[in-house]
Amino acid sequence: MSSFFMYLFNGIVIGTNYALSALGVSLILGAMNVMNFAHGEFYIFAGYFSYFFSRSLGFNPFIAMLLSVGLVFLMGLLTERTLIRSTYGNLMNSLIITFILSIVLQNAALIIFGPYPNKPPSWVRGSTNLLNLFYYSNQRLLSLIASILLLIIFFIVMKKTWFGKIVRAVSQDREIASLMGVNYYKVNAFSFGLGVALAGAAGVILSPIFPVTPIGGLSVGLTAIVVIVLGGMGSFKGCVVGGLMLGIIENMGVAYISSGYRDIFGFIILILVLLFKPSGLFGETIK
Amino acid sequence: MKNFNKTSMLIIALLGVGSFVPLLLDDYWIHVAIIGLFYVIMASSWNLLAGYTGQVSFAHAAFAGIGAYISGILSIYLNISPMITILIGSAIAAILGFGLGFLCLRMGGIYLSLTTLGFSEIVRLIITNEYEITRGTMGLEVPSLLGFYSKTSYYYIMFAVAILVIIFLNKLVKSDLGLAFKSVLNDELAASSCGVDTIRVRVVAFTISSSIAGLAGGLYGHYLLLITPDIPSLGQMFMVLAMTIIGGMGTLSGPVIGALFLQVLSEYIRVFGKIHLLLFGLIALLVARFAPEGIVGLFKTVFKTKNLLKFLKQAQ
Repeated sequence: MSSFFMYLFNGIVIGTNYALSALGVSLILGAMNVMNFAHGEFYIFAGYFSYFFSRSLGFNPFIAMLLSVGLVFLMGLLTERTLIRSTYGNLMNSLIITFILSIVLQNAALIIFGPYPNKPPSWVRGSTNLLNLFYYSNQRLLSLIASILLLIIFFIVMKKTWFGKIVRAVSQDREIASLMGVNYYKVNAFSFGLGVALAGAAGVILSPIFPVTPIGGLSVGLTAIVVIVLGGMGSFKGCVVGGLMLGIIENMGVAYISSGYRDIFGFIILILVLLFKPSGLFGETIK
Repeated sequence: MKNFNKTSMLIIALLGVGSFVPLLLDDYWIHVAIIGLFYVIMASSWNLLAGYTGQVSFAHAAFAGIGAYISGILSIYLNISPMITILIGSAIAAILGFGLGFLCLRMGGIYLSLTTLGFSEIVRLIITNEYEITRGTMGLEVPSLLGFYSKTSYYYIMFAVAILVIIFLNKLVKSDLGLAFKSVLNDELAASSCGVDTIRVRVVAFTISSSIAGLAGGLYGHYLLLITPDIPSLGQMFMVLAMTIIGGMGTLSGPVIGALFLQVLSEYIRVFGKIHLLLFGLIALLVARFAPEGIVGLFKTVFKTKNLLKFLKQAQ
């Protein structure tokens, strides 16, 4: 029984991380109507940056993490300016461009960082006895807390601040929002930066547990896609619920069915959602 | 009539040049040409989907992999001639394509892109994990198509199939169904209000293009004699996409030009090691950003400007 709770807990830790990364895709899709296939690569880059700053340059892990997320944010702004801006209003073009971008970033990472998995240092050591059931690594607990904190901050920003209001306005109706004096380009650039920074945050939080590899971005990106389809496109709440569900289902599946087929559980969920509830748990279908 | 002349000219040019290739090249370059023709078939059939109906599928390489593996496995374990198993592989790719298309296309194009990306990864995963049947990353040895090994004869087979596929796609695009494809690409709402069953049209396009990919994969596998999970990988998918984009999406000659161009280019940059995906990615990004119509589009613009200048001179 205690192992069951451990798998459940693993699922929750991973699930909150999935939610964080999926919120990035959802934000970009909602605000800009752009589907970012290179999302996982930004996650991987953040993990590598964090490794590089903390291991190779000897920075404090937390400063290294902040720097990495900041750097990924800048990468996002640059990408938006050079590549994404020309595809506004054409979802298919954005799909193609971000797919090519993901291949470019993946191969660039392979050349820059080498083919080996890398892992930034853990924040803490040791483990804690949870509810007298099992020992759980402190690093995982802290990662969970960090993810939850970021999720809460994200929701506060979206609900309470001026930026959040603008983003929601733009995703509801672009033309009316720009008629009301919203600078469309600035919102888009900032949303894209913030969206990929969320992937970066997920990357630096999880990479001390699961090392990053240059080709790992694909599975991160696919997971984010499954989460937003499951939660419903355009719904932030759906991302959180979908992320948690997927995390738990995957970990149970790996524990009780087969570990070689980790990614297949997500795909089965994707097919089931498409069959029975195409709009997902909380969302609407988009064209 | 003008269009008809242009495409028949393209086909005649290909036939003329293509027929003599084995006489002029050594064995190595014939090999390059065969792989190039595989990409011509793949890119042309992907273009039917992306260029003519506006659906971006990321499972094209996966369907080629399905064709290659189904055909390979049947010919090994059941001892059926590869000539027949290739067709079975193509049929199974068509059936899976139909199912996937039927499932996703009800909800609009983006769901197809998302699901095919997942599907492609799953196909690779299953092939890698079920190593007892597929021999995983070690690769599966399959019998050759003809029973004997000859690059020249294989070249002619691949060449004939490529020409037939291009002629078929040409006829298809010019037919009523092709008109429906383009109407869905241009304005889905208008098309459906004119009585075009947009979902059916998309599913048909997706099924046709998947079955051609399955056929190409089968041919490719029985030529290589060793098939690996590399065939259904996203790297391969990217090559097909990059070739179509660089050549020019939505034209018949674009994918052909793009495929041959990148295939020859990749031979010349082989000396630099494993950077060809990065380099092709950068070229494809530049083309997609600055010349979305590809090489064919660039030529057209140059041609038009020249004509315009000529016209202006005459007017003076």
